Amino acid sequence: MTGGGRSLTMVLFVLFILSTLAITFWARRNTRGADDFYAGGRAFSGAQNGVALAGDYMSAASFLGIAGIIALSGYDGFLYSIGFLVAWLLTLLFVELMRNAGRFTMADVLSYRAKKQGKVRTAAAISTVTVSVFYLLAQMVGAGALVSLLLGIHPGETFHGVSAASARTLTIVVVGVIMIFYVMFGGMKATTWVQIIKAVLLIGSTIVLTVLVLSRFGFNVSHMLGDAAEASAKPAGFLEPGGKYGKDVAGDTWQTVVNKLDFMSLALALVLGTAGLPHIVSRFFTVPDARAARTSVNWAIGLVGAFYLMTLALGFGAAALVGHKAISEQDPGGNTAALQLAYELGRHLGGSVGGDILLAFVGAVAFATILAVVSGLVLASSTSLAHDFFGHVLMLGRPRESQEVGFARFAAVLIGTFAIILAVVARNLNVAFLVALAFAMAASANLPAITLSLFWRRFTTTGAVAGIYGGLFGSFVLVVFSPVVSGKVDPVTGKSLSLFPAGIDFHWFPLENPGIVSIPFGFACAVAGTLLGKERPVQENYEELSVRSLTGIGAHRPPSRAARHRSA
Amino acid sequence: MVAVVAMFLGWYFVYIGLSAFARDFMARPVIGNINVALVFGVLQFVSTFLLAWYYSRYSRTWLDPLSAQLRTEAEWRQAEYERAAAEHRRTQVPGQAQRIARSQGRGERRLDPQWWGEKS
Repeated sequence: MTGGGRSLTMVLFVLFILSTLAITFWARRNTRGADDFYAGGRAFSGAQNGVALAGDYMSAASFLGIAGIIALSGYDGFLYSIGFLVAWLLTLLFVELMRNAGRFTMADVLSYRAKKQGKVRTAAAISTVTVSVFYLLAQMVGAGALVSLLLGIHPGETFHGVSAASARTLTIVVVGVIMIFYVMFGGMKATTWVQIIKAVLLIGSTIVLTVLVLSRFGFNVSHMLGDAAEASAKPAGFLEPGGKYGKDVAGDTWQTVVNKLDFMSLALALVLGTAGLPHIVSRFFTVPDARAARTSVNWAIGLVGAFYLMTLALGFGAAALVGHKAISEQDPGGNTAALQLAYELGRHLGGSVGGDILLAFVGAVAFATILAVVSGLVLASSTSLAHDFFGHVLMLGRPRESQEVGFARFAAVLIGTFAIILAVVARNLNVAFLVALAFAMAASANLPAITLSLFWRRFTTTGAVAGIYGGLFGSFVLVVFSPVVSGKVDPVTGKSLSLFPAGIDFHWFPLENPGIVSIPFGFACAVAGTLLGKERPVQENYEELSVRSLTGIGAHRPPSRAARHRSA
Repeated sequence: MVAVVAMFLGWYFVYIGLSAFARDFMARPVIGNINVALVFGVLQFVSTFLLAWYYSRYSRTWLDPLSAQLRTEAEWRQAEYERAAAEHRRTQVPGQAQRIARSQGRGERRLDPQWWGEKS
């Protein structure tokens, strides 16, 4: 990118930041109690919240990452898109029940039936914060890598006196500080508006790019696919599954089986993880009632689906128009494919100036995407920390509302700072696997507890706690001892493909994605905890929860005093 | 509900299974460069949209009225209870209502307004 293009990206991005900060100040003045801070006053319409949900979900990993995987490995990137979308059907089935039964967090739903609220809430807060921090880390490290790629600062070069290495650190810190600012001052109101603006920008620019790509091929999809396959590294299998996941290894049956299982495991985590992602769940509570919550999920399904269909055009378009060589030279992971495509399309229309303008715009949208997603995550985890851990565990459910909200603002600073430090430390590591890990953890820890507490009459506190900890630590341990952390080397160059450098190898779990083992394990722990624990289930609480989740009677209020009395 | 979940998860995993194990089938061309894999992939999108639409229609016509009916019934019962309680307070000696409630203890739980989540 030329100097002019870089400056234009910066200007556009600063514009986005300024307008969202203005919204944050407006939101600060209109945020008074817990309902405002955690749930935006429950005043968003179904459509608004749906757009924000889509905004929360479409991370830079899906915008740049999926387009990149399609551009380099072909069809397999599309498998990600499908998993990400089908997952929303499960969310649609849960959304009303959870909206009716909870107030602000997933733990509200879980602790409803619990005899010992504190234990469940602590477990839920730990799981929420862990999942969010892993996801955050992936996004923030990605932001650092993106800026040096986007501004085209290669190692050794400087831009306004900033070297590539310090540009990375600087980006992470700036993104982190702005994200803390949004959450701390604006709470859910500001974060929701940031998501809405970002989602509109992202979908708008994706539509523009898609139309431009298709127009280059006379709106003939088959023609585009043909050109994409030809320009790729491996034309033969480019349009079929198997380029990246579930590879067949000739002569090595064990490795082939492992690859296929790994692929199934990823698919399972993608489809089951979404309904347990904390920043998605906390968005169920920002609308006035369950019907509006359902409407918002329907909106999200429409937007997310349209977006992922368009990533097909972006990925195959980049493969055809930019070519395998140019993409993998800039970034072997392909994360710049969409940006290079934007430059190429703009150049075709208006020379190098046109290329710079379109690239600058898409680059600024990518930054906005990262910023919006990370603030959603920080909000979800600080809500859980303040409402569940501080409010119900430390203060035994009797804090003043202002105290709890004050603590939530403090928690946002705490988690944000922690994430910045971690991301700066990990800035040069390959942490892309953390997104899939966050999905696997959400599916293994949160989903069993949510499902069983809504649908299983016998479920108890012990079961919920065992399910959450079992799923969380199960998936964590499996990943630590998997090839993504140690022991995977490139057979050609001998360089390490894992987190640790080559030579360190302590992996014994063959799969890179833990889901296929950890999700059943999470469910098994929850069931075992219920059946083996001495605790007897409280029937009335189950009935009360059923009535409430189906009808919404008494939603927004804490469980009745009668229920609390029984639980004591 | 269980049938719906089984259906879309089943269809998703049929697709994933075909992608993993039936690559030759998935590679078969349909029109031009568009092959079975792409068609099935896009069909996943179509089925997701259709199911979401169908589920929403189903809840609008069947579940929403049912839940509204339950809610009105519950609210009516609560209003009735409060009216009776007010009546009771008006006719009884001050303090007696509380004493009676206490003596009846946990047996009265179901009629307790607290059960509907009312703050005292």
